[in-house]
Amino acid sequence: MADAQKHLQGLTEEYQKLQTELEGLIDARQKLESQQQENKGVQDEFASLDGDANIYKLVGPVLLKQDKSEAMMAVNGRLDFIEKEIKRIEDQIQESQEKSDKKRTEIVQFQTQVQQQQAAATASA
Amino acid sequence: MPPPNTPASASGSDDAPAGSVNITSLPVPQLRSLQSRLTTELEHLTTSHAKLRAAQSKFRDCVRSINDGVIGSEKKETQGRDDILVPLTSSLYVKGKLTDREKVLVDVGTGFYVEKTTAKAIDFYNGKVKDLEANLQDLEKIVQGKSTHLRVVEDVLRQKVLSGEAAATAAG
Repeated sequence: MADAQKHLQGLTEEYQKLQTELEGLIDARQKLESQQQENKGVQDEFASLDGDANIYKLVGPVLLKQDKSEAMMAVNGRLDFIEKEIKRIEDQIQESQEKSDKKRTEIVQFQTQVQQQQAAATASA
Repeated sequence: MPPPNTPASASGSDDAPAGSVNITSLPVPQLRSLQSRLTTELEHLTTSHAKLRAAQSKFRDCVRSINDGVIGSEKKETQGRDDILVPLTSSLYVKGKLTDREKVLVDVGTGFYVEKTTAKAIDFYNGKVKDLEANLQDLEKIVQGKSTHLRVVEDVLRQKVLSGEAAATAAG
């Protein structure tokens, strides 16, 4: 009986660890989403600017003047990168979700098994 | 991620669409977890709402600063007066002079600043305020939906607990 309890506790701990991992991944996914939104906003803003508009980039404490095409390229590059990151994180989320689902069924199976054994033990006693 | 939200039928009517679960048929522990999940969701949405409001008022402040400070308004007697106090920290100011009342630098996000005329800058900020307003309205609808949801779940839960207690006293 104590063995079963210990085993169950181990399983639950593993399950909780998977859940925390999943939460961390979801947080990362949300952060990427907000970065993507911000960059998209900047991209739209640049698209609506005149070609000779003065664009500055904040580097540390100073503003550096930048070409419009250069700035647009930087933003497009960032958006590409963020898109790739989102894909990568989503794959990880899916993987982690599958793992934790599997763990959960394992726990439920184990629990019913223990219950059946207990029922059998009381019935035969 | 939590399992997909089971679309609980709020009214408990018989003609609920397929795949939905009548929440009155759920046991108390499940109702409790549903309740706590809805509460966390609602809290999250409310903080987002407050953050959006704060951002919106910040943009409104920007518009006001341009109108009163840079363009200058006759009513506030800031027109034509170039003397300003520049904040170096939140409690330290130095005297300065406005040299350009035509153009401002606008933070468009991700570390980029764009030089704009005052009129264009005001347009930019007003656009932001409008976008945020639309977002806020969407969010309000969601918050309302969630809170009715939560109320229904709480009602059912209360009934269940009460009737459960009654059954227990009757049996005991």
